[in-house]
Amino acid sequence: MTLIQRLMPATGLAVLGLLLPASILQAQDLTATEAALYEAAQSENGVTWYTSQLTTEQAEQVCALFSERYEGVGCFPVRANGSSTLQRVVQEIQAGAVQGDVVSTNGVSDFEEFKSLGGLAQYRPENLSGMEPSLAALNDSDGYYFVSGTSPFGFVYNTEIVAPEDVPTSWNDLTDPRWRDQIAIAHPGFSGSAGQWAIAMDRLYGEAFFQGLAANDPQIGRSIADGYTLVTTGERSLTVTSLALGRDAMRDGKPVDLVVPEEGMFLPPSAAAVLADAPNPNSARLFAEFLASAEFSEWLASMGRNPLRTDVSTPEGVPDLTEVNVITVSVAESLENQQRVVEMFRDIFGI
Amino acid sequence: MTVDTHPPASARTRRLTHFRPDQLAWLALALTLAVLIIAPLSMLVVKSFTDGTTGGFTLENYVTAYGRARHVQALWNTLVMGLASTVLAVLLAVPTAWACTRTNMPGRTFVRIALFGSFLMPPYLTGVGWILLAGPNAGFINQAWTALTGLEAPLVDIFTFSGLVLVMGLSTFFTIFILVSAAFELLSTEMEDAANILGAGVFRTAFKITLPMAMPTILGSALLTFLVSIALYGVPALISIPARYPVVVIQLAEFFSFPVRIEVAAAYSIPLLGITIGLLLLQRRVLGRKGYTAVGGKGGERRVTDLGAWKWAVFGYVMLVVLLAVAMPLLVLIMAAFSHSWVSGLSLENLTLEHFRYVLFEHSSSQRALITSVATGAAAATLAISLALSISYVVQRRLLPHAGVLAFLCMSPFVIPGIVLAIGFYAVYALPPVGLYGTYIILILAFTTRFLPIAYTTSTNGVRAINPEMEEAVRILGGGQFTAIRKVVAPLLKRTLASGWILIFVPAAQELSTAVFLVGPHTRVVSVVLLDMSEEGTFERLAALGSVLLLIIATIVLIGVKLLGRDFMLRRS
Repeated sequence: MTLIQRLMPATGLAVLGLLLPASILQAQDLTATEAALYEAAQSENGVTWYTSQLTTEQAEQVCALFSERYEGVGCFPVRANGSSTLQRVVQEIQAGAVQGDVVSTNGVSDFEEFKSLGGLAQYRPENLSGMEPSLAALNDSDGYYFVSGTSPFGFVYNTEIVAPEDVPTSWNDLTDPRWRDQIAIAHPGFSGSAGQWAIAMDRLYGEAFFQGLAANDPQIGRSIADGYTLVTTGERSLTVTSLALGRDAMRDGKPVDLVVPEEGMFLPPSAAAVLADAPNPNSARLFAEFLASAEFSEWLASMGRNPLRTDVSTPEGVPDLTEVNVITVSVAESLENQQRVVEMFRDIFGI
Repeated sequence: MTVDTHPPASARTRRLTHFRPDQLAWLALALTLAVLIIAPLSMLVVKSFTDGTTGGFTLENYVTAYGRARHVQALWNTLVMGLASTVLAVLLAVPTAWACTRTNMPGRTFVRIALFGSFLMPPYLTGVGWILLAGPNAGFINQAWTALTGLEAPLVDIFTFSGLVLVMGLSTFFTIFILVSAAFELLSTEMEDAANILGAGVFRTAFKITLPMAMPTILGSALLTFLVSIALYGVPALISIPARYPVVVIQLAEFFSFPVRIEVAAAYSIPLLGITIGLLLLQRRVLGRKGYTAVGGKGGERRVTDLGAWKWAVFGYVMLVVLLAVAMPLLVLIMAAFSHSWVSGLSLENLTLEHFRYVLFEHSSSQRALITSVATGAAAATLAISLALSISYVVQRRLLPHAGVLAFLCMSPFVIPGIVLAIGFYAVYALPPVGLYGTYIILILAFTTRFLPIAYTTSTNGVRAINPEMEEAVRILGGGQFTAIRKVVAPLLKRTLASGWILIFVPAAQELSTAVFLVGPHTRVVSVVLLDMSEEGTFERLAALGSVLLLIIATIVLIGVKLLGRDFMLRRS
């Protein structure tokens, strides 16, 4: 809309005439639920979105799209790693001083914690009806949280340092001594998705995997975005991270490439929920609808990520999740193992 | 009806009038300090014995906190790191202070001004600077080393115990430098002259005479540095995780993650409090027994020592300190802020302003964070200095009984690590019924408390310097106590107030340890935003935002310095 405002005085009615149908179309785009929420959100203060699902820059893009679609409804992303986000939300729920409206992280078990504290609103976005069935199966059956993204994990490596014949093929290659001092990982106690990944690795290879990895002295960061930056700058040569981040880097011309381990890519679903005492309940629900909408899935696709909906096609070069091997961790498995695996990690790595 | 159920109004008034105005003033000050200090601390202790689910008494939190070898190891590691970085800080600070105050080393003023930069630079920015310099593979020093020698193995690695200690030492030595410089400046040259006459050389004199005379200050400031370094959050968050060297503050952060255990965090931080109090008591006992009357003596001649040819060697050492602590980290930060990609180094095509544009205009929270940091810093500085001044005036002039209690309370936050203070503040004020979570007020109150000891020390020095005779003159001429304060004390204290304000504003505007658990989504301060940026590895943006904060703070300080004269903290007035 700001574009229209800027263009109007310069190009006059002709341009307005061209753009007007588009904006009308957009208005018609809204479902009845969206329209009602949009109306009610006008008198609120926008949506505050706690997220560890995306990087700061991406979260800002999503917010900008949201505020463009629902003009007048602000959107404030607060990006931090999974554990900080969890800490913040739990603090707010316990304090009875909830300041965030929507939360999304890569640790589905976080949502069970919020739910058990009575911190989530039961809200199942109407737009979830278009969700890819395999993902929709992961939505909370009680309607407290829903899948808001997938970030398949694999290896991202620096092509200037790693020769083609040395590229790892299995998750277990991380324990191979030739990768000593070359690996970057995120701490499962800090990063939500790394926590889920650690549970999967524990299931596949047990404690020996972590001991082998520890012997390789990986650099441990607080977020998977950190390891990815370490590899793009050449500080380290191999990292476990979101393949989409790797594709972003390749698009930016950075010397990296991706590889999917033969066991399959690890798939931590990201989930989102509306907070029970959200200060801006209508904006929060509107934002939840947005995360389930075609527009958000189109944005995901444009970023080289897997869309969530059946009506948006998977972008070129991105494997369709229904057709490839994926390793997942169920909520139950996560709840049962998370604390034990993180403790084991801490004991083995000493941090 | 209400009249019937309450005691008659006149009776209440009468009871109130039983308090004399000075008692009311004492009560008001005591209440303020109770809110700021006693409540958070007692809550911390209470929480540590409270069962998180039932609310009953338990020792379980201590068992959880200290029942694992790793958690005890973190406490031990913290002490080792604190000791090592304090030793390093002393080695950096004391010779530099000596060279700048007692010798004819060239460039003394330049060094003082340059080191002032290390006061302005928050520890986490020094940390980031050193990550860019000494990251094991991409760090500039290692890139240069590989280019020069062809060796792949890194020369230096910041992500090690020694790297952690280096950054800690570099971030904390300035306090020792300032305090020891002040002590050196007070020493008269007579004893050094005596040693010279008896045949001692320059360095022998320094070690046998000058150094011992300043020893109480050196030990005192070293102790302060030790306490600061064991409680610092930013540097360990950046370095000790990759270095796999767990310390207490990182462990505390773990208790705040899944599942959140505030009670355990409280229990875990009690020993830190105990260590701090114990060390301060020890210092008091040790220093209390000996007389160091030479220090503080006025009169006598003060001359600088001629170092002869040695002055260049000393100059070399001091310049190394300046390089390591200020010049190098600052330079790489600025370079990174203007680079597309920091690893590519300095070149025209790598030059960009995009990161500044991003943090100033596009990033969702940094613009607001800059304002929040400066505003909360300024508010906390103003509050702390006003409160401290009232109390030190009351204490110095013995206006109220039991003023010593107030003085003790004012100094007590000194023993509370910032992160522990934050947990206490969180427990009392963030939660209902007070419910200050996510407000500016809780940040301002916490920062005020944290820096109250600095404010109190500065105020006390200021008030002490004013002879009460002047106020008595006002009283004799018929003016009241308040007239005396307004017409005599306030004008004389202007300088003290302003320099105290700056001394608090600078660290308060950069405070991380206290802020990290207290900020809400809309009250994030720059330090917290920088920490979040650091975990995404976007060092260029971090550097840009850090530089903007530094620039703002430096500008405010420069204005202060202009008003106060250059020497306001570099030299004792």
